[in-house]
Amino acid sequence: MVTCLERRKILLVPLDPVHDIGLKMIRRGLDKAGHKTLLLPPDLPSEEIISMMSKEQPDQVLISRTLGYGVAELLARFADLADAAGLRDKMGLVIGGMAIRPELAAELGFDAGFGPGTSVEEVVAYVEGRPYQRDANKVKKTKADLTANYTYQYRHNAIGELLDRIADGILGWVQGKTSPAIQRSRLRDNLWDIEQWRLGNINKDFTEAYSALCDPIAEAYYRSGEVHPKTRQLRAEEIERLEAYLTDTKSRMEPAKVQHWEEGQPKVFIQYGTGCPFMDIAHIKLSEAWGADGVVHFDPSWGARTEGFIGDFLTHQEDGSVITPENLSWTKAGLEEYTLWQVRAHRGLNTPETVVLAGKLGADLTKINIAYGSLAAGTDPARLTVDGVESIKMAAKYNLPFDVVTNEELAGVPAHKAFAGMLIVAALGRKLGGRPILQPLFCYSPEVMISGQMEQNYIDFNAAKIKALRKIMDAPIWPGAPIGFLTQTEDRVQSSMTTSLHAALAASLRVDAISIASSDEAYSGGPIVAASRLDTLTAVKEGFRFFGEGRVEATSMADRWADEMVQNIEKVLKDVADAPSFVDALYNGILGSKEEGAYPGRGGRDTIQVE
Amino acid sequence: MTEAMLSHVMDALDVETFLVCSSENEGKDRAIGLMRSLGFQDVDIVYIHYAGPGARVRVRAYIYRPGDNYAWVTAQESRQ
Repeated sequence: MVTCLERRKILLVPLDPVHDIGLKMIRRGLDKAGHKTLLLPPDLPSEEIISMMSKEQPDQVLISRTLGYGVAELLARFADLADAAGLRDKMGLVIGGMAIRPELAAELGFDAGFGPGTSVEEVVAYVEGRPYQRDANKVKKTKADLTANYTYQYRHNAIGELLDRIADGILGWVQGKTSPAIQRSRLRDNLWDIEQWRLGNINKDFTEAYSALCDPIAEAYYRSGEVHPKTRQLRAEEIERLEAYLTDTKSRMEPAKVQHWEEGQPKVFIQYGTGCPFMDIAHIKLSEAWGADGVVHFDPSWGARTEGFIGDFLTHQEDGSVITPENLSWTKAGLEEYTLWQVRAHRGLNTPETVVLAGKLGADLTKINIAYGSLAAGTDPARLTVDGVESIKMAAKYNLPFDVVTNEELAGVPAHKAFAGMLIVAALGRKLGGRPILQPLFCYSPEVMISGQMEQNYIDFNAAKIKALRKIMDAPIWPGAPIGFLTQTEDRVQSSMTTSLHAALAASLRVDAISIASSDEAYSGGPIVAASRLDTLTAVKEGFRFFGEGRVEATSMADRWADEMVQNIEKVLKDVADAPSFVDALYNGILGSKEEGAYPGRGGRDTIQVE
Repeated sequence: MTEAMLSHVMDALDVETFLVCSSENEGKDRAIGLMRSLGFQDVDIVYIHYAGPGARVRVRAYIYRPGDNYAWVTAQESRQ
């Protein structure tokens, strides 16, 4: 609060036919700070304002203008009149508003100019002649733990018992079995010292043993330094430029938030994987600057079908960025300390080792789902079951919560079957000391296209999914991936809008996190661009602002479908429990049949060995 | 050739992009400079938001202001 001696007299002038809201807000701020204010009505002639200024003799005159037409001429004339009246040197003359830019103020001889986005605090600071402390209003951000406050207790006893039985069956089935991926992951876990690697020291024991477990493409890298034919190594000068870019950009970063109501609105993740780690980092930085809470690494599909990882700082012009220790390490270096980083391990021939790499390189989260990886991502069910269990153990060891994504829905598998698979993996996680996060899709899936659950709206069926999962288990929920999948078109307004509405629905359902697409989601002609990433972050922020603590309300259909979903999940789990094994259930279509679009994968078939 | 290509633009051409820059003012200068370098004279920044890595901008080149002689009308007339 200012003292009497410091109290200023401020005349607020809307030099505009109608607009004075901004000035009213500023007046409230100035009054609160103890200054004396006088607000004139809009649409007064300049001569009358000048006369008022002569009469009142304020310390400062704050003039606002919203309409842009002829603004320079209008303000220039006003400044001339103030000069002619001999007022120019007696009081401060400041302009602000939607039509104002600081450079215009300087050009016309005003003392200051405040454009769009100016805060009340900034104007009050100016009036009081003190520097504006931007830091005082700075967003404070910490890294969130999405799994905090969840017990992982079953809320549906019968389903809980089935899940425990199935999980025990899986743990028994994998006993004594191993795979090249498990052996590589244990080598990476035991022999690959990250500090030594950072110093450039090569562990020959690791390299020798590791390359023997790789397929020819990866093996060639260790034998002769040859990189994957689709990739190229970034040159030393490119890496130097990246370092300089990062140092420069990081020095200007300030935390930003998408959420309006912190307690109830989910953390927002974006997915990166432009193919180039340099471009990824640039996209990550701008996503952070626009408020993203987390980022998800997308790797290319061929990476999941190759036994073993190669090394080096690699780029390529295809979808997904190659997982190498160097690429991940640089990405990590690019992140702000408050940003959550997920490296997906879920679907391929390197699943357990991806978890180890993610853990060693400082990731916060990973992604594992045996059912999805087996039925819709090309990996042999038996192989991924063995690898999946090892992955969950590694996730627990490296303290990495993992989401269990249900993308098989996109292939046509009904939600209840995908959820049964997800819950089985979550149950395994629970048994092995891991921290699973349920990831239902908020999508316009083939199932609902055929069956019509989204003919009326996009709300009820998505809400039913969350309600159903909550009836079964007390676990965190992170819809993805991305939300609104298959509702987006190539139009950036439509795309941003549907993402924002799905985000608002997610917030209404009080989920823990969401993954969002860019407004390029439906465009398939090339990579996502920076501006499109910001479209959806801005749209989601606006959606959160609009709804605040309010909610999107589902109709009674959501409850009906949730109950049906729970019943159907129970039926599927009974069938899985009665099958000779979980792996048999996967092969035989219990968790998604060929007719539904689920095809047991062939990658890594017949590679399981006796331990 | 450019004039012919622009003759079917109803009123303005917007460029939406992200400019790598270190301040809002630099972003504005670069956005306007970009449009001028493309040969546009009547240009303005519709929207700019700067943060850390750069500026999200929507920069506009007016091809026709209201009351101008719109080539898309004269082109239609000449076709009739």
